[in-house]
Amino acid sequence: MTAASFAQALDQITRVPGVRGAMLVAGDDGLVVAEHLMEGIRGPAVAALAASLATRLRRAMQAAGTGAGHFWQLLCERGGLLVVPGASGILVVAITAPDVNAGLVRLELLRAAEAVG
Amino acid sequence: MVDEVKALSAQLAQEPQSLVFLRLGELLRQRRQLDAAQRVALLGLERHPHLADAHDLYARILADRHDYERAFDEWDMTLRIAPEHTGAMKGLAFLYFKVGDLAQAESHLKAAKKVTPDDFTIEQALAMVRGGAEPAPPVPVAPPPAPDEAEAKPLAESRVFAGLEGAEEGLLLLDAAGLVLGGGLRSPTGDDVTEAVAAYLAGVSQEAARTAKLLGLGAWRGLSAEGRQGHVHLVPPTGDSLLLVLRDRSVPLGRLAIVAQRAAQAARHWLERQQ
Amino acid sequence: MTVRAVESWTLQPLTDYVHEAGARLVLLMTPAGQVLAQFGFTRAVDVMAAAALGAAIMATTTELARQLGQPPFAALNHQGQRHGIFLSGLTTGRGALVVLAVYDLDVSSLGLVQLFFEQLVTDLRAGSPREGVPKQVLAADFERELNESLSTLFGR
Repeated sequence: MTAASFAQALDQITRVPGVRGAMLVAGDDGLVVAEHLMEGIRGPAVAALAASLATRLRRAMQAAGTGAGHFWQLLCERGGLLVVPGASGILVVAITAPDVNAGLVRLELLRAAEAVG
Repeated sequence: MVDEVKALSAQLAQEPQSLVFLRLGELLRQRRQLDAAQRVALLGLERHPHLADAHDLYARILADRHDYERAFDEWDMTLRIAPEHTGAMKGLAFLYFKVGDLAQAESHLKAAKKVTPDDFTIEQALAMVRGGAEPAPPVPVAPPPAPDEAEAKPLAESRVFAGLEGAEEGLLLLDAAGLVLGGGLRSPTGDDVTEAVAAYLAGVSQEAARTAKLLGLGAWRGLSAEGRQGHVHLVPPTGDSLLLVLRDRSVPLGRLAIVAQRAAQAARHWLERQQ
Repeated sequence: MTVRAVESWTLQPLTDYVHEAGARLVLLMTPAGQVLAQFGFTRAVDVMAAAALGAAIMATTTELARQLGQPPFAALNHQGQRHGIFLSGLTTGRGALVVLAVYDLDVSSLGLVQLFFEQLVTDLRAGSPREGVPKQVLAADFERELNESLSTLFGR
């Protein structure tokens, strides 16, 4: 994968109305790999917190016997986070407004996760 | 007691993923079979590396072996996973006392007393620390309930969700510390995973709340996730409780959210009645 | 376990950092290795060794950067199988300081440690006293001051 193809994968996600930004995050370290964010969104904070939440959620889901999650969504009063873990341990993350079409964002995240591996 | 060890060993062999190792390890420790107890604890930790009680068990065994440095690490890890684990607090107090740091010993005992004010052993230990006498080694936490109790408990507590689908195997209500208030969970393969999942959920909700706050997203309302074998939805029915809905993967996330809303309403009513 | 501080203005920022970043061990020290606060250490000898090694690493990398004609490196991270070590300098009204943090990979991550380090820097800058005139350190005073600091750091 090149930086250009990372950017292209993220660009498709941010085209969905209500998406404020998209990122690729190193799941183990919680560091930004690539980002396409609206102004005011703190990329390093999103990366660190999304990765930490992903780790804790994965442990809970494994204990529940559902297997590791392949999509998750945090719903909040003023928006949310949608995340798809890629095969290589990279998380594809979208930061959204509350009224976003979550189904469409999910599809774009899954496509991006497949593209980045 | 020998029979109990045999029975628990057989149960563990049949269900290696179960939490029965906690009882078996503690029983062996009490019988001073420390090598066997340690093997059981380490096997349990391999399967449940993030279970606070497993680290606590291993720490008690290490303390019995006078391996205080590693016991310290294990109790420290226990508190990182479960910050209100009184067994670990008492254990650390004991170790601090051993090295003569009375202030730290007292501080840990006070913290433990805040969590379980009715535990008379803490008051005894505090008196000893203040008086300078040697406190008793850490008191083991109560062993997990016997199988009969364990099976009966979720049934009685499932009344929280009376009338709702999955009340006994797909709905779980916890307090803020991750302790089960009602309901029960079974994995898609039918195993009782109530306690194992509960142990992790407090950490998930704390992280969800922190993420929402630090990213300026307001309060968190729910967390839904798709797994290969099942789906989950987590909501905070009140500020200090947590509800998990677990269904197989045929139930779409959207429907799971609706089920969660209904169950959260039932939980709120039940919690109000308890006050 | 609580943060122990020789200089009380460091206490709250460091307590918040330990809690938020999930750090297992933290040392706040001067570039010369004088410890201002610690969290997680149980033995004085470990604090002394970690402070000396941390200060030496900072001095080495600062010199390397100088020889390369670069500004000093912002931070260093070493990651093992179970733990990570994060070492970074910062400036406050008290002068240049160094933070050494050890974190469990099970509990925390480099991302969290870095993220909350930014907040730690802000909090330390806000709370730090203005640097006074550096006093001359005599050999006789040094050992006494070191012993006093260690006593404070371990609550003795």
